[in-house]
This record gives sequence, C-alpha cells and structure tokens, in this order.
Amino acid sequence: MQFELNENNALLKTSIREFLEKETPLAKSRPMMEETQEGFSKELYAELGNLGYLGLTLSESEGGAAAGVIGLAVVLEEMGRVAFPGPFLDLVLAGETLSRVKSQQASQFLQETVSGQKSVLLARSEALDDLERSVIQTRFDQDTIRGTKLPVPYGASADVLLVTTAEGVALVPRPEEGWKATSLPALDHAQRFVEISLDSPGRLLTDKQSADTILKEVDQLGALGASALMLGLMEGSLELTLDYIKERKAFGRTIGSFQVLQHRAADMWIRVESSRSAVYRAAWALENSLEEASLLVASAKAYCGDSARFVCGETIQLFGGVGYTWEYDPHIYYKRVKTLEQLYGSTRNQLEAALQSQGI
Amino acid sequence: MELRAWLNENLERPWIEELRDPKNDEKKLFDIRRSWQAKLHESGYLGIHWPKEWGGRGLTVVENAIFAAEAIHAPPIASRVGINLLGPALIHHATEEQRKRFIPKMLSGEEVWCQGFSEPDAGSDLAALRTRAEPDGDDFRLEGQKVWTTFAPWSDWIFVLARTDPDDRYGGITFFLVSLHQEGIEVRPIRQITGESEFGEVFFSGALAKREHMVGALGEGWKIAMTVLAYERGSMSLAHLARFDHYLKDLVEGVRENGSLQRADVREKIARLLVEKEVLRANGYRTLASLASGQAPGPEASLEKIFWSEYSRRLADGALDLLGLQAHLLVHSPHARPHMDWAQEALYSRAVTIYAGSSEIQRNIISKRILKLPSS
Repeated sequence: MQFELNENNALLKTSIREFLEKETPLAKSRPMMEETQEGFSKELYAELGNLGYLGLTLSESEGGAAAGVIGLAVVLEEMGRVAFPGPFLDLVLAGETLSRVKSQQASQFLQETVSGQKSVLLARSEALDDLERSVIQTRFDQDTIRGTKLPVPYGASADVLLVTTAEGVALVPRPEEGWKATSLPALDHAQRFVEISLDSPGRLLTDKQSADTILKEVDQLGALGASALMLGLMEGSLELTLDYIKERKAFGRTIGSFQVLQHRAADMWIRVESSRSAVYRAAWALENSLEEASLLVASAKAYCGDSARFVCGETIQLFGGVGYTWEYDPHIYYKRVKTLEQLYGSTRNQLEAALQSQGI
Repeated sequence: MELRAWLNENLERPWIEELRDPKNDEKKLFDIRRSWQAKLHESGYLGIHWPKEWGGRGLTVVENAIFAAEAIHAPPIASRVGINLLGPALIHHATEEQRKRFIPKMLSGEEVWCQGFSEPDAGSDLAALRTRAEPDGDDFRLEGQKVWTTFAPWSDWIFVLARTDPDDRYGGITFFLVSLHQEGIEVRPIRQITGESEFGEVFFSGALAKREHMVGALGEGWKIAMTVLAYERGSMSLAHLARFDHYLKDLVEGVRENGSLQRADVREKIARLLVEKEVLRANGYRTLASLASGQAPGPEASLEKIFWSEYSRRLADGALDLLGLQAHLLVHSPHARPHMDWAQEALYSRAVTIYAGSSEIQRNIISKRILKLPSS
C-alpha cells in the first residue's frame, strides 16, 4: 500500500487546492451558504463540470477523469478543508449510479451531469433516522412515481432525480410546475434539506435486483467520500485553531504556550492524522476492489465521524466565546460534520456494518 | 505454509500453558523464552525483517507482522529489548567490529540485553540523567543508578546513557555497552502491580565501561538515544496488532459464550474496538510506507505510540467490562478463559502509556515539533 500520492493525484491536489483557495475561501463561500436560495454557486459548479471534477471517478470514455477512488478522496479532502458548499459528492454519486445503469437514457443524462449542465441527484431516504429499512414505500406504476422522499439534500435545485422505488431506480425529470418540495431547515444552516412528494412521470432505469447491487457500490463510495470530506473539515478546523491559539494572548502570553491547550491540540492532530490513515487505506482498498474494503470503508466513516465531531467541537471550545458567535467560522465546520455523521451511512449503521463484515 | 508447519513441529505447548504451569517460576519462564529464541534463530525465523547481512531474511515489517500473527501462541522472545531497540541503533551508529561482536549473540539469545536510560530523577525528563562515566585510562568507570530497567534481572548486558560532561545537557551524554556480569554492578528486581518482577534497578559503583564498547563518539549519546526511542515508538503498531487481533477475537468469543453478543451496547463497544484496531493498522502501514521510502522515524512516531498504547488500555478495559469477573481470573484459576490472560493484560496496559516516553511526553513532542506551538 502507498500513502504518498502518485504523480497524478499530487497534481490533482495542487490544482483543486488552488481553485478552492481562489474561488471559495470562507469569506466568499459563506454568502453562498447564507444568502442564496440554493446554498451554493451554480456558476462554480458549472465551472467544476468544465474542469472535469464532476466526472472525477468515471472512465475517460464517459467523459470522466478516471482519477479513481483515491483521486476522489483527494478532491473531497480539499473541499472539506474550506467547507466547500453544495452537493458535490451527491452529484458524483448520481453520476456513478447513472454510469452503472447500462442504458441509452442513462448515458445521455450522465453526459449532462458530468459536464455540469444538469443537476442530477439521488432521492433515496424516506425517513429521518437512517435505520435499516428494507421496504421502500415509493412506487413506480404505469410510468408514474408516487411517494415521499426525505431528506433530499439540495433536492430543490435538482433538474433530475434518481428515485429509488420498490420496483428499482427511476429517473424523474423536474416537471414543468415543479415538485412539491418542502424545505426542512436544519442544524447546519449551509445545508438545504427538502422533503419531496412525487406524483410525477418518469422512467424505470433498472429492476430492483440490479438497483440493490448498484446502490450498494455507490453507498461504499458515498461513505468513503463523506469520510474524506470529514477528514478535510477537521484539518481545516485544526488549522483555524492553531492559527488562533498562536495569536491570542491572555495572562501576558499566547494561549498556545499553555501545556493544557498544547495537549488538546495534540489530541486533535492525532485524530486528524489517524483519520487520514484510515481514509486513504480504505480508498486504496476500494480502488483495488480488495475483500476488506467493506470493513475499511465502514471503519473510516465511523472513525472520521467520531473524530470530526471531537476536533470541530474542540475548535469552538478553544476559540472561547468568539467560537460561539455567528461571525467566526468554527460553527461552519462543526455543523457540517454533525450532518455528515448522519448522512452516507450514519455512524451507528457503519459500526454495525463493520461487525457484520467480520461475521460478528 | 512453511512457517505454520515449522511451528506445529517445534512449539511444544502454547505459552499460556507454560504460564499456567505452577512448576514454572519467573526464572524458568525466562529460560523458556531464551531457548525458544535460540530455536527461532537456528531456523532463520528471528528478525526476519532484518538485513540478511545481520542474520535476518531482509523481509519487510509487514512480513514480520504476519510472522507475529502466526506465532501468537509461542513464547515471546527473550531479547525483545535488544533486537527491537538496540539492534537498529547498532546498525545505524556502531562500528563494524561492534556489530560483529554483539549482533550475532543478541540474535541467538546467548546475550540478553536491557536498556539503561531512565533514572530515579530522569524519567520523562531523560536528559536530566546523572549516571556518570569517569575516564579511567582508556576506559570509563560508571557511578550512578538506572531504574525501570526491563528484563534487568535476567539480562547479561545493558546499554547505558551516561554523563561524560556535567555542563552540557545534551552533548554531555555518551552511549555505552556494558556487561552486567562484573564487579561494581548490583541488580535489584522491582515488583510490579502484576506481581511479577520483569524489571529492576541497576546500581553502578565503579563498573567498567570499555572505550571499545562506546557507540558513536563521546557526547553523541543523545542522538543515538533518539534513534532508539524512535524505533521504540514507531513502526511497532504492526507487531502489537498481532496480539490485538488475537485479543479481540477472544473477546468476541467470550461475549458469544456469555450470550450478550446481540445486545446493542455490547455490539457498539465491540464495533468501536474493531474500527479503532483497523485505524491502528492503517497508521502502522503508513509509517511503514514512509520507512520503506527511506525516511527515518521522526516525531510522527509519537502518534503511533499514543495510539497503540491507549488502544491497548481501551481493549483490556472493554474486555473487563463485557466479560465481567471471568476476565479477572488469573491464568491458573479455575474458570479462567483458556486462551487469554485478560487480568494480566489489563494491568500491563497501565504500563504501556508510561514506558517508552509517557503519553504526556508524546503530546509534548507533537505540540512542539509538529504543531510548532510556542514554548512557555
């Protein structure tokens, strides 16, 4: 196993970092999160499509960059570092789903997703608690999809939904008068959850059995991607903390010189670096389709979730009072990781998945 | 597999059975470890990750970890301190003659080593050490005391950090290889919370430290000690993992047997121990990858030391929680678990976060050398 990035991925890291530092430092991205309806910049996402980032993991023949799972982790880690807003990972996962559906329609929509022309998102969850639910209530019947999905992250901005139904995955283009989408404001003010009630025309792309196989693979990628995002988020949060405690003075000295704070910063760093080991080991396993990939992906997601909660929470604490203000940035990181703990396979479901992968 | 066949043929009975045997006192147990090491050495299974030149097989640490996993029921070797800690220091810093003189006998188990670093007033603050090496003709005479010396009661040689210049805190320390079988040395065992006396104190009153057994130049001891400590802290996760895999397996079997495996609280606890073990392995592979690309272990080794040592506490505590008093029973007690000595492990896990640089020292290293936080 290699931990040092190969030449392509190292280059990828530099390019995406430059892009993000220029386009979306928090000073620029917070207005996107806080003052726009979508919660992100559509222009930037179109630009990401032009630059090939939306098809990062897809093959070149599909218009992708063939950067593999490790490449995806690299990009998501960088996006996490600056708390990049919007449904980037969701678009990638929708693309991955379309790519696995071998049909004419799917590949047409795939082109439009990858190029950033259309926003295609998965609508899967039908409950808010992420418990294992074997029965999907949404139905596909006579070219119509009926049911309610919630939450659908950034669902209001989708042009097309890939909806899981009891019959398989269905493709539902946004109808003329729109969907019945109800906004669900939540803990993370940068997030855009909606509840979508469907009674809309659409097409079935797969049967139930192949949908299960496809979504299982997509779920692994989602969990790994969320882990990489959380890795980046805790990195960014730790950087904020270190800058702050090296500057802030109290009792006539910088507070970073107090051993009690130094040890807490050390604990944050231990979590960040251990998460990094876990994420890239899991990415390696997934990229190479190793047998232990399911254990490692579940482990990475659960461990990054616990760690990100700890690291980003400590940032607020070490900032003190200003860490609890809207103006300062620690809460941006904290809220994002709290949400990611729940999405893409919640920590408790991942813990159970880890056990089951070992026959326990 | 070749190794498995060899183990079947050569391992008379599992180590835990030796521990359980009332006829085996500590001395006897150590002799078993010594002769097991000799057997491994003869068959070429010792230090398989060492260079061929020095009796190893030139394989990787990963293969060494696979070996450790296969040999999980075998006795631990006698010269753990020598092979894991002094070995790399000799390979990096000793002269050709010194290597030829000491390495073969270290590997064969003929000479067992202990480490003379800590002193009563120089533990975490190691550079405060006061054991003196006074010139005596070409050689030196040692005066002072070492403490927490693992295996001291059973060792033949000790590698000592001694002060050769009282005024130079770091540059006044020199690294010597010293025989324990001589006048002017007294070894007193220290009884530990486990009841064993695996470590001890070593008193020097005029013991001879020969110049030809000085490693590196005069005053280079601190630098060499840092090599030793880096190897002690880093690149060891994989070796510990073989044990942890075995322990967690026993814990899962235990909760299966006591009927609590389906309880949600039990599952969550075991799942976290499983997940953290994989993170530990990932950290180990990462260190390994950086060693393989030619980097010497640096301050990042502190991450591994903290992680594996604190994990070993969580694992043992978890077992005591989930198995209850069954895990308290000593190895020779009726009803004790047949393949695992949790009581011993739980107590021993309190030592690992103290030795080889306590968790607090590791956090100092991280905050100063990696995070560059200012000194007070």
